[in-house]
Amino acid sequence: MKSSRALDVIGTLARLGLAAVWLVSGVLKAVDPDQTYVAVRAYDVLPTAGVEVVAALLPWVEIAFGLLLVLGVGTRIVAVLSLALLLVFMAGVVQAWARGLSIDCGCFGGGGAVEPGQTAYVQELLRDTGFALLACWLIVRPRTVASLDSRLVDSERT
Amino acid sequence: MGGAARNEKRRKQDEAARKLAAAGIRVERKTGPNRTAIILVAVVVVFALLVGGFIFWQRSSGSSGDVAATYPVAVSGAVVTAGTGPVVVDTYEDFLCPQCERFESRYAGEMKTALNEGKITVRYHAIAILDRLTEPQGYSTRAANAALCAASANIYPGYHEKLFAEQPAEGGSGLTDEQLIAFGTELGAGADFAACVTGGTNSAAVTAETDKAVADPALQTDGNFGTPTVTVNGQKIDLNDTSWLQTAIGA
Repeated sequence: MKSSRALDVIGTLARLGLAAVWLVSGVLKAVDPDQTYVAVRAYDVLPTAGVEVVAALLPWVEIAFGLLLVLGVGTRIVAVLSLALLLVFMAGVVQAWARGLSIDCGCFGGGGAVEPGQTAYVQELLRDTGFALLACWLIVRPRTVASLDSRLVDSERT
Repeated sequence: MGGAARNEKRRKQDEAARKLAAAGIRVERKTGPNRTAIILVAVVVVFALLVGGFIFWQRSSGSSGDVAATYPVAVSGAVVTAGTGPVVVDTYEDFLCPQCERFESRYAGEMKTALNEGKITVRYHAIAILDRLTEPQGYSTRAANAALCAASANIYPGYHEKLFAEQPAEGGSGLTDEQLIAFGTELGAGADFAACVTGGTNSAAVTAETDKAVADPALQTDGNFGTPTVTVNGQKIDLNDTSWLQTAIGA
């Protein structure tokens, strides 16, 4: 019982941590749409129209994930979606690295081309791996304290 | 599974749980995602997509690419002066700079209308600060030179637009001289245009203009010069203000 409580607390920290990541990165991207466009374009994967759409929608999807995690609504679903999005990001960074592009990932705002030798692919991938681990925890064990999920389950019981 | 069947199943589960509880056995209910949570997640994500789509639609309004430019254009050194309006707009752009492409795709139409209506004068400063970002280096200077050649050939508005529409990626090789010449030929440039592009006729002027802009404190943001930089009557404007041009011409 006691250890279950401790696991709930760890899960809660993972949930709020991942929520903070999405909210910060989403807001930084949303306030500077042109920079976000430049960051997405720098990966050199999508055609112009695709870059426009992704750059316009991505920040708001990140903010949505963040809000859902803060409230603890559908934690497991959002964790699965978060992991999927993080894997897409990591794939983007890996392809840029493999193709010898020199870009900043633009993970938390910024982004675009940088001087060769100014790249930080290893750090960016390690950071994303850390975020992915938070998501994995919540997929395996989505139970946390102070979440709306627990209320949704409770209301179903009556 | 229909609603009635689901309720029946739930009722039976609850019954069973009660019996077990009465016998002193606790059953932890499944806490996986339920239907309400799935719907809530879907609603919030769809709402977020709508917000993003709406803002995108709002920002990408007003492209008048098909309107012909009817304003006069003059070139002096590495500065192209377009129009004769009372409000003077100075733009400092590098043809390789993605943010400049963003600026053009957003405001070129609006600026063309204001130029045609004689409301503004635009001084296009040909800047090359990103030469090192192509392989081989130097696309920014080659493109800026070609744009000035286009001004001399009386095709500047279309050529300027074309260079941003066909902007190459940073880190690539940039457009070739052949491509730069072909754009001009398409727009009706004369026979001496090709020699102007390949000969780098205006390259020294571009370098001088770039050095001058970089050293001008009035053009710096936090001590650095970057592109695009835009001034209205000498005052640097905030490019995040989407209504800067309307404000400037009092529309």
